[in-house]
Amino acid sequence: MPRDTQAVTVPLGAIATPFHPRLEALSTAKQWSNWAGFISPAVLDTVEFEYFAIRNQSTLYDISPMKKYSITGPDAERMLNRMVTRDVRKLRDGRVGYVMWCDEEGMVIDDGTLFRQSGQAFRLCCQEPMYSWLLDCGWGFDVEIRDDSDAVAALALQGPTSFSLLSDAGFEIADLKPFDWREVEPGLWISRTGFTGDLGYELWVDRAVALPLWDRLWQAGQHWGIRAVGYDAVNICRIEAGFLAARVDFQAVHATERLHRGRTPLELGFEKLVHFDKGHFNGRRALLKQRDKGLRTHLCKIDIDGFKPADGALIYHRKRREVGHVTSGVWSPTAKRNIGLAELKAPYGKSITKDLWVEIYVFEEGVWDKRIVPLTLTDRPFYQPARARLTPPAAF
Amino acid sequence: MSDLSFDAVVIGGGHNGLVAAGTLARAGKSVCVIEQSDHLGGMASSVDLGDGVVGPLMAHLVFNMDDKIAKELGLRDSLQSDPLPSISLAPDGWHVVMEGRVARFANGRPHPDANAYRDLHDRLLRYAALLSQLADRSPPQFSGGLSDLSTLRELAAMAKLGIDMKRLGKADLREFLRVILSNAYDLVLDEMSDGPLAGAICADAVRGNFVGPRSPGTVFTLMYRMGAGGVPRLPKGGMGQLSQALGRAAEAAGAKIITGTGVSDIEVKDDVITGVTLSDGRQIATRAVLSSTGPMCTAQLAGVENFDVEAVRRLRNMRAKGTVAKLNLVLRDVPRIDGLDDRLMAGRLLVAPSAEAVEQSFNPAKYGEIGPRPVLEAVIPTLSEPDQSGAHVMSITIQHVPHTPDGGWDMVGRERVIASAVDQLEMHMPDLGSQITQAHLLTPADIEAATGAPGGHWHHAEMGIDQILNLRPINGAGRYAFAVPGLYLCGAGAHPGGDVTGRPGRNSAKQLLQDGVI
Ligand SMILES: Cc1cc2nc3c(=O)[nH]c(=O)nc-3n(C[C@H](O)[C@H](O)[C@H](O)COP(=O)(O)OP(=O)(O)OC[C@H]3O[C@@H](n4cnc5c(N)ncnc54)[C@H](O)[C@@H]3O)c2cc1C
Repeated sequence: MPRDTQAVTVPLGAIATPFHPRLEALSTAKQWSNWAGFISPAVLDTVEFEYFAIRNQSTLYDISPMKKYSITGPDAERMLNRMVTRDVRKLRDGRVGYVMWCDEEGMVIDDGTLFRQSGQAFRLCCQEPMYSWLLDCGWGFDVEIRDDSDAVAALALQGPTSFSLLSDAGFEIADLKPFDWREVEPGLWISRTGFTGDLGYELWVDRAVALPLWDRLWQAGQHWGIRAVGYDAVNICRIEAGFLAARVDFQAVHATERLHRGRTPLELGFEKLVHFDKGHFNGRRALLKQRDKGLRTHLCKIDIDGFKPADGALIYHRKRREVGHVTSGVWSPTAKRNIGLAELKAPYGKSITKDLWVEIYVFEEGVWDKRIVPLTLTDRPFYQPARARLTPPAAF
Repeated sequence: MSDLSFDAVVIGGGHNGLVAAGTLARAGKSVCVIEQSDHLGGMASSVDLGDGVVGPLMAHLVFNMDDKIAKELGLRDSLQSDPLPSISLAPDGWHVVMEGRVARFANGRPHPDANAYRDLHDRLLRYAALLSQLADRSPPQFSGGLSDLSTLRELAAMAKLGIDMKRLGKADLREFLRVILSNAYDLVLDEMSDGPLAGAICADAVRGNFVGPRSPGTVFTLMYRMGAGGVPRLPKGGMGQLSQALGRAAEAAGAKIITGTGVSDIEVKDDVITGVTLSDGRQIATRAVLSSTGPMCTAQLAGVENFDVEAVRRLRNMRAKGTVAKLNLVLRDVPRIDGLDDRLMAGRLLVAPSAEAVEQSFNPAKYGEIGPRPVLEAVIPTLSEPDQSGAHVMSITIQHVPHTPDGGWDMVGRERVIASAVDQLEMHMPDLGSQITQAHLLTPADIEAATGAPGGHWHHAEMGIDQILNLRPINGAGRYAFAVPGLYLCGAGAHPGGDVTGRPGRNSAKQLLQDGVI
């Protein structure tokens, strides 16, 4: 074959997602961040507007930088069941499951959502690049693994009016239950999933038809107060919902260089998703050992006095002994509480839950001040509206 | 429903499988050996070469079996035979004879490097004895913490090793640590000039592995073969008899042996072994499986989904490029070599004219090619124990033959391998060609097909620094237990490695007993 002699320009720096032309036009803040190499809005307008839009209206958030893999073939279920900690056999066609997968030492490599299309076809969605890991996992199984990250564009449509918006846009999704997904039109899949804890959907489409989809939603959304949002607002919502962010609340073990920086699903509080009774899965033997010997840390939801977000603050027992730190901290405008997630050294966070304190530094007009404020542990998400679970969702 | 039920099933009736079975049976466990072929011994077997002439199928000499183990296994009689001299054949006729620590010329003249040879030999033997302490048991791990009984046991053993290392003296210890990772070529040529003596040592250093004497780690492999002294012997009645004796000893202790059907499946339920299925469909219930076939084959029998992904990746990357072919020549009469008397003719004949030549022998193999002058080790067992047919057998291992040459094996390739051996030997025994009535060649590919050994490799897994001790065959499976509770490795691929030693089989059985699986 004759070689193409024309020079191809490779763009330098962050890459535009399929939705970038629309985001660019909407951005007044021009606050872009780099999400896995893609240009992604931190804020498009103001965080406050965007946050309240997620909680009260409908919002579009471009999740195209997520990694998406298709796993198909006669052994797809067996292969994935060996990879992730939960029992994939129980995930029915058209369902989505939150999954974690571990290395041989039981340390979480990443978490993500596993979409079952049919008996032999799955899609895995996650933050970290996972292609070579999936190939390793697939060795010895009759499966085909494809990296669809670039081929598939994705949008999160979240907020209380999102169902009404989709209906107006002509999608019949009234019967979609939380964690259902379906191909609603050829090549367009809608799942009732999201990262905000509220009613919401995610839409998956070939990148070539990304912009028409955006426009269709935007148009239908005019009645429903649609806004585009950036990560900063989404992040407040995900902390309110109690969801973990990889590389924030835990370190994806393959991305760590130091020893013992990884965490197990048990330490992250996900024993319910570790199905020891399903036979072998990666890291199972190490996890069993840890279950017997005891965990090193506990990841907890926390509620802090005052209203100064405690992101990164150190945690003390009896104001003296350092026992952990806040991994994500934010003022929750809806719950009106100062909330967060924290990692505590065992047994703090499990058998010792009282007399815990957070040290917060405040900088006010040139002066640093230190406050030590009480912290309480909670096990429920800070934000969990009933409408998020209703099927069919209430029309607005 | 299972047809049979045992405490343990051993996959493979090679010598290690038989030793493992014998060890378990003597400990009062019910055990069954499954051997896929119709004979016992695996690589350590005898073969009928036609017309009733019997020769060693693959392995021909025993040089790495500890007395203590031989006795424990009931092999004393089998190894009563006289030690064989080693003769490194020289193009100029000044053949070099090595017996123990003594090197001399076959014509009786002293060898100029005799002192250097003796010193090197003694030094290596001292170091080898140290290494051999590690070979007698599972490699150390120390993960249990100091309160753990097994850790204390290991510590005691290591302390003994430490004391013995101290006894070496400072200079010796420094030397030990210096050479252990280095290469045989430099070690040898630091002490003596290049020639058949240096060549013979280098040939021993690389035999069985995919290396040349300049490859790192070849001093280790040289010491490895000297772990039990390194003195070569022909087992009484041939290699097959040795394996038969191991089989009889295991049976006498209560073990059952089934040949002619292989294990086609290792049953795992809820992460424990529940049994095996044989290729004839029979099922055997058991809680423990000791496998002497290759590590990856074993993983596949149990299902790779029962292994962690990282373990499978390591298995996929485990190095096992077989590089030794076996040639059995049936001879009308014994060929002569000028200057060698009957005793020397019956010895271990080496074609390795120099360290340089041994390195050259490796070069073609690196590129998957058949070389013109591979290193050879030959022995004529019929000179020590005449064959009933009256014919003679020359058993030759040809080092540095590729597993499969580019384009695959065909008659032309096979003839070239045979010629590469016969031509080199004919330089010393011109009448050899005319005496040959049959030539039986097993390439590494043939050996793999016959035994299941990965790559047809002598040691089932390359004996590299990255694949010994705790790392053998792969990191995480260094103590015989092989991922699935109840599954153990017991063949040459496990610690300490290959050769006819019985050590992997014995250590593995002992580890299984110690782990309290059955
Ligand atoms: C050509 C050659 C020459 C050698 N020369 C010497 C020598 O002179 N001296 C020396 O000390 N060493 C020598 N070796 C090395 C030595 O022979 C081996 O390292 C040793 O015999 C290995 O023993 P083993 O029992 O671990 O494995 P093997 O002897 O390979 O036995 C494994 C057995 O398992 C059986 N098996 C495999 N899969 C299954 C299954 N699924 N079900 C049932 N059975 C199965 C095989 O048929 C085989 O019998 C030589 C090796 C080769 C290849």
